[in-house]
Amino acid sequence: MRIAGETFGIRGITLLAIAGAAGIVMGIHGWSGRHHGTGPGLGPAAAGPAAPASAHATASAHAPAPSAKPSTQGPLAHASPGASRSPASAAPAPTPGPKLSTQSYASFSYRIWPAPVSTAAKAAATGLAITVRRHGAGIMVTAGVAGQPPPPARLYPTGAAVYVVEAAMGDDSGNTDYNLGDDGLVVTDAQGRILQ
Amino acid sequence: MSRDTSAPVSADDGEADRGGLADRAAGLAAGWAPAIARVLLGLTLAWFGYHELMTPQLWTGYVPGVAATSDLAVVLVLVHGWLLLVLAVAIIAGTGLRLAAAAAALLLLQIVITLAVTGGLTDLTLRDVGVLGLALCLTGNTRQRVMLNR
Repeated sequence: MRIAGETFGIRGITLLAIAGAAGIVMGIHGWSGRHHGTGPGLGPAAAGPAAPASAHATASAHAPAPSAKPSTQGPLAHASPGASRSPASAAPAPTPGPKLSTQSYASFSYRIWPAPVSTAAKAAATGLAITVRRHGAGIMVTAGVAGQPPPPARLYPTGAAVYVVEAAMGDDSGNTDYNLGDDGLVVTDAQGRILQ
Repeated sequence: MSRDTSAPVSADDGEADRGGLADRAAGLAAGWAPAIARVLLGLTLAWFGYHELMTPQLWTGYVPGVAATSDLAVVLVLVHGWLLLVLAVAIIAGTGLRLAAAAAALLLLQIVITLAVTGGLTDLTLRDVGVLGLALCLTGNTRQRVMLNR
């Protein structure tokens, strides 16, 4: 068979048909799981590439080489006081949950508070607007998508550490994050337990 | 007439040997480089196609002009992923190679333009420019090693 000047043999057509069918099966799988893996914290606000960040915790460092792809269960599926869910600062004190180090996304978590902030953490925060400041006996954390209205801040006790979760750095470029579905924020107490 | 192997090797002989080695290396590269380029481009496309099909929600941010949270964006990512996967198989197998490489080049051109418009000339954009060049090279290649011609 000739298509656009190219000759396709029976084996070639069979191979392409198998690939196409496999692609359809994978696509059905992807469609059925399309609501999984987007971070409940930052995902809903991700309406396109994030604009350049303005918060001081966000940097425009170049992203390193792409790391491992996130699993379909996004890192925020279990934890994280994410941006769009952040309650007001008057909310009850957060309760400690499991240790961050025991979570599957621990290796994708980059500390941004307290200092020092690594280059990788700055890169991971690309596209996010995160503000952490001291407030009385604790810290006040605001996390959202750069270029969008900031959500209410939330108060955490002294000793809390703030981490940015970025499963794949390969979707960050310059100060733009093309995929906020694998981004998020985790706050832990002094013992490293995730504050819910 | 046989060569006297006990005679010392002259500088000319050494250069001839080096020239022969370089020629053999060039011949090897000419024979295999297009096939290797084809397989590597195909693997790249297959990797992206696989992930776009399996986790389309993580790729919707790249769809231009459509809200990343919409179902339409997911559908477009799935179609894109399916195309990438089929093109990858065609390119790796070498079936309909020029057509598949041309289609891949068009897809990559669209990606490069979109990235350049939305984010400027960034590391991502330039990386895809390189892949686009590889796809364009393959549009002119017809006879290579390890191809499924029938």
